[in-house]
Amino acid sequence: MYGFEALTFNIHAGYLEAIVRGHRAGLLTAADYNNLCQCETLDDIKMHLSATEYGSYLQNEPSPLHTTTIVEKCTLKLVDDYKHMLCQATEPLSTFLEYITYGHMIDNVVLIVTGTLHERDVQELLEKCHPLGMFDSIATLAVAQNMRELYRLVLVDTPLAPYFSECITSEDLDDMNIEIMRNTLYKAYLEDFYRFCQKLGGATAEIMSDLLSFEADRRAVNITINSIGTELTRDDRKKLYSNFGLFYPYGHEELAVCEDIDQVRGVMEKYPPYQSIFSKLSYGESQMLDKAFYEEEVKRLCLAFEQQFHYGVFFAYMRLREQEIRNLMWISECVAQNQKSRVHDSVVFIF
Amino acid sequence: MEEQDQMQSSIEVEEVEEQQREGKRLEEENVVRFLDSLDSYVTLLDSLSSTLRQGWLELASARQSMGASRINGALLDLKSHSAATSLQVTHHDDEILNQPHFTLCKWASSKNGYGDEKLRENKLQTNSDGPQLRHRSQFAGTPEKIPETKGAPLIVDDQVQKERTKSLSMFGTLVSPKLRAAQLSFETALETLVEIANVRLTMLSTSDQVRKELEGTEG
Repeated sequence: MYGFEALTFNIHAGYLEAIVRGHRAGLLTAADYNNLCQCETLDDIKMHLSATEYGSYLQNEPSPLHTTTIVEKCTLKLVDDYKHMLCQATEPLSTFLEYITYGHMIDNVVLIVTGTLHERDVQELLEKCHPLGMFDSIATLAVAQNMRELYRLVLVDTPLAPYFSECITSEDLDDMNIEIMRNTLYKAYLEDFYRFCQKLGGATAEIMSDLLSFEADRRAVNITINSIGTELTRDDRKKLYSNFGLFYPYGHEELAVCEDIDQVRGVMEKYPPYQSIFSKLSYGESQMLDKAFYEEEVKRLCLAFEQQFHYGVFFAYMRLREQEIRNLMWISECVAQNQKSRVHDSVVFIF
Repeated sequence: MEEQDQMQSSIEVEEVEEQQREGKRLEEENVVRFLDSLDSYVTLLDSLSSTLRQGWLELASARQSMGASRINGALLDLKSHSAATSLQVTHHDDEILNQPHFTLCKWASSKNGYGDEKLRENKLQTNSDGPQLRHRSQFAGTPEKIPETKGAPLIVDDQVQKERTKSLSMFGTLVSPKLRAAQLSFETALETLVEIANVRLTMLSTSDQVRKELEGTEG
């Protein structure tokens, strides 16, 4: 049962909910995507985006444009929106908003550590980091030789510190350890975020538990598919699954032993909410699975806006913007590579 | 006496005609060979173009699936390591086709040294001088010579798969199937490139022969 949020929510978060709903109205529509899909060059894309909320971010970019430039500038728009909401937010909304960025923080940590292992310049790596995941001491990650040092020197003062308890070892960092570290951190982060939302209660808990459960289930499926044919053992694979979600615990037992995509399909089809995902795919096919997952995610995120007085709208907006940026990246790549016939392979319409 | 002279001259005329027919046949063979190699060359160029387009799109698809932070140029490994794939240049002893021949050695294991090189079976060539190994990687040291052998042992499929996974590990060990598909596409493109080089050599060689024959005929 909800706890009378309608009486008190607007006192602290009413302004920001209105702001985020306004931002939602600025998301690209199907008509916008149809225009973008017909562009011949990246400059055409820039011209079409000039009439959208991305216009001011792209207008000063010189030709010739690159796909990464378009993605970077569109991401800046997302970052500006987020920072505006964060600086206006009070507790517990500010903590909720910070939780949304921890995933990017984990990605940045892994990027710096992997790049350092490959003897890349730290400045070059910092330029590739996602702006939402930056923190003050991120450059110091380059000096760590193992996870214990990583934690002791840098991460102990960051929000990721609690997530390191399961993966602190003195083993030197290598590709496999880094991959396990990435997934273990993300698992711990998702579980922590889930617990936090449950503590908030009300509509936030209900809506966010659905969204985060879907995220956990999707990650379980992706980890399974990506680890097929690798040296990751079944036990190690199972340890990377989150301890919540529709698949927990019996679905995880079955996913851990899957050896091909059809076995994964067999597991997912036992769960009615996920039957529609695989119904779009033929047997043995995995190429369109990502798009099917994104479509399902977008449907759930849009439904979050149907209800008021909860924090799920902020999470939903951030995720929808990220999906929009992914769409723009894909359209730009297809235009740049002169493969417009494939543009609809990965574009997910939001409205 | 006159009859013997006549028979002698008719035999000589037949021999000359036979030589002329033989010469024409060889000319036509060379022309057909040139046209065949030209057709193969054009077909392979088209195949290379479509394979590369597919590879680049699969890479973009993998980037979209895994995220830009996981697939970008900043993760490429700058540490010194030996080439996983190298190009062998061999020289034919054939008098007619005195030209080099390219062979791709894919996924040669750096740990096992020379014993596990995989050669393409239909392109395997050896000669008494031994092949001159050229390293395609910029990180390799001085060029190495492999011992003279009549044939190289084949790497088993799982060893090849391990080498493929090792190459992709710079992007992480749990990568999307799309990235693996992109790797296969670029691998196929590399094979096609080597085939194009060989076909181009044949085409240029037969083209030279046809031109010489035409010049000889005109002269």
